[in-house]
Amino acid sequence: MIASFRAENLKTRKRWANWILIGILLAWILLLTYLTLFLVVTLSPKSIQGPVPASVLKRRLFPENFVPTVLGASASIGAAIMLIFGALSTASEFGWLTVQTILIQKPTRATVLGGKLLALAAATLLVSVLMFAAAAVASYAAVTLDGSSSAWPSGEVMLQAFGALLLQLAVWTAFGAFLGIAFRSAAAAIGGGLTYLFVGEALLGSLLRNTPVVKEVLKFLPGINGGAINGAFPVTIRDTAASTQLVSAGRGVVTLLVYLVVFTVFSLLIFQRRDVGGS
Amino acid sequence: MAQTLAVETHGLTKRYSTGVLAVNNLDLRVRAGEVYGFLGPNGAGKTTTLRLLSGLLHPTSGTAIVAGAAPGTPASLARLGAMVETPAFYPYLSGRDNLRVVARYGSVPTSRIDPVLKLVDLTDRARYKFKTYSTGMKQRLGVAAALLKAPDLLILDEPTSGLDPQGTIEMRALIKELKQGGRTVLLSSHLLNEVELTCDRVGVIAKGKLVAEGTVDELRARSGGSALLIRATPLDQARRLVESLIKPEKVRVDGDALLLSIDPSQAATINRRLVSDGVDVSELRVSEQSLEDVFLELTETPQSPHPNPPPQAGEGNGRPAGGGK
Repeated sequence: MIASFRAENLKTRKRWANWILIGILLAWILLLTYLTLFLVVTLSPKSIQGPVPASVLKRRLFPENFVPTVLGASASIGAAIMLIFGALSTASEFGWLTVQTILIQKPTRATVLGGKLLALAAATLLVSVLMFAAAAVASYAAVTLDGSSSAWPSGEVMLQAFGALLLQLAVWTAFGAFLGIAFRSAAAAIGGGLTYLFVGEALLGSLLRNTPVVKEVLKFLPGINGGAINGAFPVTIRDTAASTQLVSAGRGVVTLLVYLVVFTVFSLLIFQRRDVGGS
Repeated sequence: MAQTLAVETHGLTKRYSTGVLAVNNLDLRVRAGEVYGFLGPNGAGKTTTLRLLSGLLHPTSGTAIVAGAAPGTPASLARLGAMVETPAFYPYLSGRDNLRVVARYGSVPTSRIDPVLKLVDLTDRARYKFKTYSTGMKQRLGVAAALLKAPDLLILDEPTSGLDPQGTIEMRALIKELKQGGRTVLLSSHLLNEVELTCDRVGVIAKGKLVAEGTVDELRARSGGSALLIRATPLDQARRLVESLIKPEKVRVDGDALLLSIDPSQAATINRRLVSDGVDVSELRVSEQSLEDVFLELTETPQSPHPNPPPQAGEGNGRPAGGGK
């Protein structure tokens, strides 16, 4: 397993597409989540007033709200990026036929996939750290530039938040990897995954949230459960949708862990049994 | 004397989910230390067989032992180096990094990389990305990857495919060199010349079945070995006369000549009869059958549904392995 993990690490590290994905994620957090909102709130004319005062809105960017902000990013752009990352990692092997080259080396198929999933886990950990660090730096910069003061969350809350971030990103990475193995095509895996994420779950979830049958189904979906975990962390201003979670944070954690196991096991089953090459 | 077998299959069959029967009840025996040519036209089932032997495909039925163990198991893969179909590597990695990846999967020390790069003459281009490689360079990198483990058994699928004449000659020399080290090489090809020049024994596959096996000479002999060529005028009359002397199915028209699949010692009798009946015989000689003739004969004839039992290890009799020939 270690040998496969080392081989996967080399491939993951040297693939530019992976670094571009991470770059997009960090740029999104720094530029869109923090800088854009900071500039809009700071520079907008005083005559334009929304329901929430600018001074209060700005506090969303400060360290006191650092956790919900970074977790909010994980639920949208973070999920999409990690899904693409996972799908590329597995589907490309079929596209390039390198899966054939790998499987005629010594390790078993289970060991090969185990090494790949370990490498994906390590990469997800790195992305979580980078997201956390980028958001922390941006929060610190926002409060410093504003000349205000804001308290950081406690160490315990930070640790829980990091765990929540890591769990959610891991689930989306595993989902992408599973789709890559199931479809054996990067385009199909990414297309299918993003359609589910943004249309299937996000759009239908918000439009039909109050339909009884849909509501019951939504309680089992990974995005909804991730949102429930994120909603459990304290925030200065909470929007209405986020404040009415369909499930508890505890159930959210359990559901995501089940998804992580299910995606891993299903990936392994398909990878073990499927023929490589031929028609 | 029984010989050690590097590859042994019994009734190996692969039917794809699409219903295509790619390999049909294949009994294959490759002896340790030989270069075995796996010959067949495109779509005959060569690559599917090699994929089955490498553990990439699961057989529908039948068994195989490859390098002493079941295909795809760590014990078998540890002694097997293979390049199946096209050389497949990561386009964004250099040749050397691709070999590093392969070495890590195979738990092979990275010190093996430089010698194999040198062996396939890729040292100078090792730092360039795989996507910039020419077909020949990709092919050579594939062979280098297959050799990384210093395997006992090497499976090469169409190794000269896409190579220029110089590259083809070098690849043949490399295969011969590999054999000198006592290695078994299972080489698939549809190029008869290549097989004739490099292989100790040949197995011919058609429509998923092994239809013949033996040395090139044995296969020639098995297909009649040589034929009697007669150039005569008028040809139709000559053919009628010859068919009255021997079985008509042994007579074939080849351009402006007749090819008779008979013992050449009958030449004098036939010549006398033709001349006495007023046919002008301008040429009468023994024509050696090329491997191409044998190949065409073996692969174009419809095969019966079940092959004959395989020979015992050590046999090399150019037997018909299928089709009841």
